[in-house]
Amino acid sequence: MEMHRTSLPMGILVTLLFLFLLAPVLLVFPISFSGDQILAFPPSSWSLRWYSALASNTVMISAFSTSFVLAAIVTALSLLIAVPAAYAIVRLKTAGSEFLFNLFTAPLLLPTIVLGLAILIVFASIGLLATFHGLVIAHLVVTLPYALRVLAVSLGAANMACEEAASSLGAKPLTVFRRVTLPMMTPGIVAATALCFLVSFDEVVITLFLTGPRLTTLPVELFNHVERRADPLVASVSVLLIIVTLAVVLIVDRSMGLTKTFVEKK
Amino acid sequence: MMHQKNFAAEASQGDPDAYLRLEGVSKTYGDFEAVRSLDLAIGKGELVALLGPSGCGKTTTLRMIAGLVPTSGGRITVGETDLTAVPPHGRDMGLVFQSYALFPHMTVARNVAFGLEMRSIPRGEIDRRVKEALAMVQLDKLAERRPRELSGGQQQRVALARALVVKPSILLLDEPLSNLDAKLRDEMRTQIRDIQQQVGITTVFVTHDQVEALSMCDRIVVMRNGRVEQIGTPVDVYERPATPFVASFVGRTIRLSGTANGDGAIDIGGDVIRSAAGLAPGPAEIMVRPHRIEVDWTGQAKTKDDVNRLSGVLCRITFVGDVIQYHVGIGDAEVIAEASTTGNQQLPAAGTPVTLSWRVEDTMAFGSGQ
Amino acid sequence: MSVAATFASPSSKAPSTASLAVMLLLPIALVNAVGFIIPVLNLARMSFNEALPGGGIGEALTLANWQSLVSDGFYLGLVVNSIGVSLLITLITLVLSYPIALYLHRSSGRWRTFLTVLVISPLLTSAVVRTYGWIAILSDQGPVVQTIAALGFTPPRLMFNLTGVIVGLSEILMPYMILALLAGFGRLDPRVEEAARTLGATPFRTFARVILPLTLPGIALGCLLCFVLSISSFITPKLMGGGRVFLLATEIYDQAIVTLNWPLAATLSMLVLIIFGAALGAYSRVLRAID
Repeated sequence: MEMHRTSLPMGILVTLLFLFLLAPVLLVFPISFSGDQILAFPPSSWSLRWYSALASNTVMISAFSTSFVLAAIVTALSLLIAVPAAYAIVRLKTAGSEFLFNLFTAPLLLPTIVLGLAILIVFASIGLLATFHGLVIAHLVVTLPYALRVLAVSLGAANMACEEAASSLGAKPLTVFRRVTLPMMTPGIVAATALCFLVSFDEVVITLFLTGPRLTTLPVELFNHVERRADPLVASVSVLLIIVTLAVVLIVDRSMGLTKTFVEKK
Repeated sequence: MMHQKNFAAEASQGDPDAYLRLEGVSKTYGDFEAVRSLDLAIGKGELVALLGPSGCGKTTTLRMIAGLVPTSGGRITVGETDLTAVPPHGRDMGLVFQSYALFPHMTVARNVAFGLEMRSIPRGEIDRRVKEALAMVQLDKLAERRPRELSGGQQQRVALARALVVKPSILLLDEPLSNLDAKLRDEMRTQIRDIQQQVGITTVFVTHDQVEALSMCDRIVVMRNGRVEQIGTPVDVYERPATPFVASFVGRTIRLSGTANGDGAIDIGGDVIRSAAGLAPGPAEIMVRPHRIEVDWTGQAKTKDDVNRLSGVLCRITFVGDVIQYHVGIGDAEVIAEASTTGNQQLPAAGTPVTLSWRVEDTMAFGSGQ
Repeated sequence: MSVAATFASPSSKAPSTASLAVMLLLPIALVNAVGFIIPVLNLARMSFNEALPGGGIGEALTLANWQSLVSDGFYLGLVVNSIGVSLLITLITLVLSYPIALYLHRSSGRWRTFLTVLVISPLLTSAVVRTYGWIAILSDQGPVVQTIAALGFTPPRLMFNLTGVIVGLSEILMPYMILALLAGFGRLDPRVEEAARTLGATPFRTFARVILPLTLPGIALGCLLCFVLSISSFITPKLMGGGRVFLLATEIYDQAIVTLNWPLAATLSMLVLIIFGAALGAYSRVLRAID
């Protein structure tokens, strides 16, 4: 019904452009069921061979678990670090808080290739290269700006008078934070959790600089594999990646839906 | 100026029963003085309005009483206790915000219970007192709703119940009615006043609406630019404004400039206006409430001693339903006089010469110093 | 009054706001310092260090790296090439994105939400996966080449050259461009268009004289974003260029990881940042010219 403003040629053009935009992602699904030895589309036969190949590929499996654990730890740390920071910047508003906000979100403005190289050089000199905690710190550099931005917005949108009301009702500062501020930030916390997890789980460029033969993440291993040999195994791994992403988005949608009912209607 | 001094002095020392006291309280933000050395004494059970335009310092004063804004100077005491340095959670005050500030993630009952929980009161007593408080504001049926599911008026009553359930020493209301529509506002005005008297709680009420202040409060503190202009009962403030600002802010006035001749009379374009105020010779201003003015176009109005008269020309008549407004040109100025409509009136045409008259005691006169 | 009295004493020694803020900001400041400020400053300094054979780094400060950028024709070509390719990709992305953004701007309700999700969903998919998708489409066994061959033409080579990189990157940057355009379309009221049409303008003239000028701020923002992202993008050129496409970002990686010439990699990184700054400057000049 919203189509009435659009002429037919415009409609066809937009449809084609959407197809172009979505083609590479959509194509991954059929290719993952290819029965061919090499990458071809359309495949000459269909099978699950690339899924069983993935199941027996220990490098990919361990890279997946590394990525998953890394993303989980990075997400938890991002929240632990960014929630207090957002509170200090939005609520305490001490001198220079705007400058600090810009400084702490600045890593987002830097191209990842430059940031990756910069971190590589420093980490090499302090022995953090190809270590798990090195990866955690590097990922925090990119997840924290997202977390801080999202949390600052959600805290800014929460009515500060509620916190003042709580304190005038006798709640001490920590109780006010725990019982009023934090619950009011819930939508922002959920969004920040999802964003941090996805950013960390998908991070390639910076991670490429910092991983080694013994420690690698799924996106990096995928990159290395495509560089060597773009066979349909990559498609099955991609499907796995997309499923994880989809799961995170769905979980967020669910809990956001929950918080929405929480805040708005029954 | 002299009036103002007197009122302030009377307020800070004259009342031995004062319960809430502000002594020389001030607030500065950098160079900006939001509140300048404010003295105020409020008796137990009194409902006092802080009235003034936005930026006059009334909300800052309320927030200093609540402890949400630290004072830059002065003392705040309740009874014998000095609260100046006590944080908000230790002040035992009930606060109702303009935005109500209900906790969005809690039910109505949990909102009201919050303050009791903070005081570690046993569960059973909390439940009982929450029920009582909600019954007082007639919301017992909505206890399990979320704030977002309530109308503005209902939210307002929850906020009131939440503030009162802890039996605070002082109730602070920050523009509590400004987010309601006109009809609901009238209703809530009466309800708040009734509950306040029923509980007998000392209350400070911040508002920019003179009708609210006049109709609800025992006394009114008129503020402007961080200073007190006048403290007095609603009748005082309306009938005997201390400054031209109070006269024009509380109630409507017409305003005319003239020259005081030193013997109690003011010359306005040749007409002599008398007033009770003894003004020094020099430029002066008079103010009159529009509905206290009578308009006569028959030329038969009798001259009396206690009545001021001013002649002008009718410019325009506006019919506003309940009243008729006469726009009358006096020299270069135009003033509006008001009369109730009576049904079958013969109205004069524009351009008709008219005489305005009002009682001398209704004349508010101010010298140029004010 | 009892409540006031009991509460008053313990909290009188509350920490000041400033010291509380320092405590709350310390962790993020640490990460920011260790993972951002120190590395970036160090990178800037390293562009003035001498590169020794075998990956060593000389202590002395030198302008040699910067001089080699100017004197060595390879690097000059690299810079010109990178900027040219990025500009071309930006232009293609703009042309491909504009109709989608305009359509989205005019749609409403659930349909609009659905389409917006479609636009954003590629953003949530790894660049490696999307690049792999393009390899599948453009490779010799892919649908495009096969179709052209089936029609009896000699198929062109679409992969492992600049064509593949340009096609892949254009698609990958489309969501950014669409979102930037949408953000800038706020000024475009459909009634303005209708007004132009009722005043007798043809659809083409309505577009050229009304729609295009009103959407210029969005176009400028989208182009800045795409140019900056394209000149620093690494995954797609690396995987689709097949070692035959030389751009700034891939060269930084090769110098850092393969050749182990960190000072040169650092110098090239600084160059990217300088180009960023220039792009930003050009953007604000364009924006001022529009207003």
